[in-house]
Amino acid sequence: MAAPLFLLAPPRSYTSLINAMLGQHPQAFGLPELCLFNVPVLKDLWIRSSDEMSNDSKTRQGLLRAVAEVYGGEQTAATIKMAQHWAAARQELSTSLVYQEIVERIHPLVAVEKSPSYTISLDRMKAMREAFPDARFLHLIRHPVGQCKSVMALNEGAFALYVNAIEFQEGRAIIEPQYAWHDLNINILNFLADVPPEQQMRVRGEDIMENPRQYLATICRWAGLRDDDAAVEEMMHPERSPFACFGPINALFGNDPNFLSGPTFRPHKVKFPSLTKPVPWRDDHQGLKPAVIALAHELGYT
Amino acid sequence: MTADETAMSDDAPADKPPMRQHIGPIDGKPVTTHPDLDKLTPHQRALRQAVIREFKAKKMRKFVERQVEHINMRIQVGEGIRFLFDEHGRPPANAPLEDIVWQRQQIEYQIKWFEAVLIELQGTLVRIKEIEDQALDYLSEGQAVE
Repeated sequence: MAAPLFLLAPPRSYTSLINAMLGQHPQAFGLPELCLFNVPVLKDLWIRSSDEMSNDSKTRQGLLRAVAEVYGGEQTAATIKMAQHWAAARQELSTSLVYQEIVERIHPLVAVEKSPSYTISLDRMKAMREAFPDARFLHLIRHPVGQCKSVMALNEGAFALYVNAIEFQEGRAIIEPQYAWHDLNINILNFLADVPPEQQMRVRGEDIMENPRQYLATICRWAGLRDDDAAVEEMMHPERSPFACFGPINALFGNDPNFLSGPTFRPHKVKFPSLTKPVPWRDDHQGLKPAVIALAHELGYT
Repeated sequence: MTADETAMSDDAPADKPPMRQHIGPIDGKPVTTHPDLDKLTPHQRALRQAVIREFKAKKMRKFVERQVEHINMRIQVGEGIRFLFDEHGRPPANAPLEDIVWQRQQIEYQIKWFEAVLIELQGTLVRIKEIEDQALDYLSEGQAVE
C-alpha cells in the first residue's frame, strides 16, 4: 500500500489548490477533504456533538464524493447514495481502517489529502501517523495576515470562531483569527517534532504560487514521485481533478467553495503584507501579537 | 497545557524539546466538541456566547438576504415551476424554497440529458444514413452492371 501524502496547514493556506495540483501527478490521486481523522469511529462523522454552531454535515461530503469516484467511477446522485450505503456498512469501523481501505483501493497511486481540521488537534494528527507510519507530511504555510484576512472573508470568520479564536476585551469579545493561525501551526510543529525529518517538508504557499514548477518538482523528489516535465505539467492543471468542481446535489462540497467555483491555477507573485502594521480585520488598529510575529519570522516571513 | 499535549509529553523521551505553547485564550477542543472553558470567568463565557450569537445572527441575515434575492431575481424559476402551485396561484402550505429550487434543478438536469441524448441520436442517425446511402449506391451500381 502506497503511503499517503498529507498536507498539514490551517485553512485558507492554498491547501485546496496545492492538494489538487499534487493530486494531478500521474502517480498520485488527490482526494477531497475526507475529515476521517476528526473522529475515531466512522459513525461519529454523522453525530452532531454540540449545538453551539450550525451542523457539520459538510464534513461528510468529501468522503462521500471520494467513495463515489473511487468505487463508482463517477460522482452522481446515485453513486453518492451508494457511498452512503458504503459508509453505513462500515459505521462501526475505526476511521483508520476505513482510510486504509480507500488507500488500498487507490494503490499504486499515492493518496494526497488535506483536511485543515486535522491540525486542530494533536490527537487527530497522531491518528494519521498511527494509521500510516510511512506517510509523508507537507507543512504548508501562509503569511499570517494573508491567511487571517482570507479566514475572515469566508463565512464571517466561521473557522476562527469554530476553533475558539476569540479575544476578550473590556465589555466585548471579538473573533481574532491570528490565534488560530498561531496555535494551529504550533500544533503542526509539535506533531512534526516526532516525525522523522525525511518524512516531513515545509513549503511557503506563496513560493508555489510564484514558482510552481520549481517547487512542485522539489516536492515530487522529496515524495519519491517522478519530477519530469510531463508530470509537472499535469500538476499545473488542478482543474482536471474530478473533485475540482461542485459535486452532485446530495454532496456538493468536500472542499473550499471558492476553489470549487474557480479551480484553475495561474502563477502569480504574492505580495507580503507588513507584520507590524495594524491588521485589517480589527477596528482598534491593533496588529499581530508578538508571538505571531515571532512564529512568522521562524517560518520565513520578514 | 491541553489534554493532547499532556498525552504526547508523557510518551516523550527525556531529551525531547518541550511542547510549544498556544496563545489563544481558550484551550482544547473546537466549538462543536465542547471546548474546555474552565479558565474563563463567567463574564468571559457570556461574552463568548455573545460572539457566537452575533455570528449566528449575521449568518441567518445573509441566508435570508439570499432567499429574498432568489425570490426577487429568479422570476423565471417561478414561471418554470408554475405546476407546483394550486389553481389559485398559491404555493402549497409550508413549501420550502429549497424544494422549489430542487425541482428547477431536476428539470434543468433532465433537459440537459434529453439534449445530450438528442445530439447522440442525431449523430447516430447521420452515420446510419451514410451507411444506408452507401449501401443503396452499391446496390444501384451492381444493378447497372447486370
